[in-house]
Amino acid sequence: MASDKQLSKEEFDCLAEQLGISGDPAYVDELYSQVRGVFIGAQTIRNIDVSGVEPDMAFVPRVS
Amino acid sequence: MDTLEICYMSAGDLSKLVQNKEVSPVEVIDAHLSRIQATEPVLNSFITLLADESRSAARQAEKDIQAGRYKGPLHGIPVGLKDLYNTGGVRTTSGSKIFDNFIPAEDCTVAARFQQAGAILLGKLNMHQFAYGPTGENPDYGHMHNPWNPEMVAGGSSGGSGSAAAAGQCTITTGSDTGGSIRIPAALCGIVGLKPTYGLVSRHGLTPLSWSLDHPGPMVRTVEDAAITMNVIAGHDPKDVASANVDIPDYRSALTGDVRGLRIGLPKEYFEAPLDPQVRKAVQDAVSLLESMGAEVKEVSFPMFNQSQAISSTVLMAEASAYHRDLLEKEGNQLYEPVRQRLEAGLFITAADYLRAQQARTLLDEELRRLLDDVDLLAGPTEPVTAPELLAPRVLAGEQEIGVVGALTQYTRPYNINGCPAISVPCGFSDTGLPIGLQLAGKAFDELTVLRAAHAYEQATDWHNRRPPL
Repeated sequence: MASDKQLSKEEFDCLAEQLGISGDPAYVDELYSQVRGVFIGAQTIRNIDVSGVEPDMAFVPRVS
Repeated sequence: MDTLEICYMSAGDLSKLVQNKEVSPVEVIDAHLSRIQATEPVLNSFITLLADESRSAARQAEKDIQAGRYKGPLHGIPVGLKDLYNTGGVRTTSGSKIFDNFIPAEDCTVAARFQQAGAILLGKLNMHQFAYGPTGENPDYGHMHNPWNPEMVAGGSSGGSGSAAAAGQCTITTGSDTGGSIRIPAALCGIVGLKPTYGLVSRHGLTPLSWSLDHPGPMVRTVEDAAITMNVIAGHDPKDVASANVDIPDYRSALTGDVRGLRIGLPKEYFEAPLDPQVRKAVQDAVSLLESMGAEVKEVSFPMFNQSQAISSTVLMAEASAYHRDLLEKEGNQLYEPVRQRLEAGLFITAADYLRAQQARTLLDEELRRLLDDVDLLAGPTEPVTAPELLAPRVLAGEQEIGVVGALTQYTRPYNINGCPAISVPCGFSDTGLPIGLQLAGKAFDELTVLRAAHAYEQATDWHNRRPPL
């Protein structure tokens, strides 16, 4: 899903259906716009070099 | 004593009068209830007002104090809790009519600690629905309004807390901060908002938005009141899996007024982002004042600031959608549409992208910790703009028009990602009379330094003494 570089409206509609998302056309268009924003954010993160870095899952700030 | 003076008195000052029996808790509560009655039609800060209950609690507090059973600086002091803090026997809506009749069986840890300290719960405060938005919009209980100009947002998600504290409706309020929801309304309403270190204040009994980013904390009118509140609510709680088991200092001990030798870093990236010139000047003036008081100021670089929105959004949206997924499926049509859209948009984030955002989070945390090895504090604006108009989708920040949600969370999100303490303290007003906030962030669990600098700055200025025209 958000791993794809681009998201066409057709692909979005297909994914939305699989997720059980529906609504009137204006709502769905606005959601499509938001999801494209999510994809842009995901792309920004994929451009960060995270090699060798573990995800901070049990996040506890450490005293410096 | 004039009732308005009681309402605008800090907890630090009011508690002395209460302890010395110069003012009774009953007078304090009555003054605040009158203030709420006069201002609430404009502000809409409350979802649930506990007039009878607070009067009853005040009478009990008066008896206890008269009998020599004084509990400490919050005894008899009115407190308002954001309406996602569970309160035993008092409905807790999380800002949604879906939970209009939800009455928790027991207090959240923070509410229990306030009660133990003798504080009096005045009511439950309005909020952006499920804390999922930075503006203070709520169609179910009415939008929140800024006390300095009711046409403008109070900020969110803890908007009712911001307006209630700024307008003298409560002495102490609380918020929760996932991407800025304490500091945003604090800056826009002209009060002090402290996001403590992640894990320092228990999240037990609060409705989550994003487990790994949620931070409860105080929203008050003075830095001293933030310290007083932290003395009560901070500390290990075995009921919260993320609760830190660290020694809790007396936070008031930080309030020395002395910033000599304190090293303050100014990330240059903060001033390259979209930024209102009046905010830029107010923040630069504030930092110059701290420098003139003996702090050492230097420019630093925080390159990952530019990725912080993407990292924070991905983690937050994925966690929020996971938490609310059942609600979304069963009662999604009852949600505020922008909230529903954010929750549904989060479902499109893959596990791989969520984990990659958590990897990037590690890098951002390391970068901020390296920066904070060289300086004691990072300073900058809390917000790039003053309070936008209610329901406006976009706002002008300097020469750029940008989305309101992105603008309001621009400077606050980095410190949710790495969990370090950050405070917003008033540092000026725009020429339209709207407040501006200075943000100071420090090392994890070093609230003392954050409070020390914020207090010294506050005491050298008079921004915190101004009152909104209500």
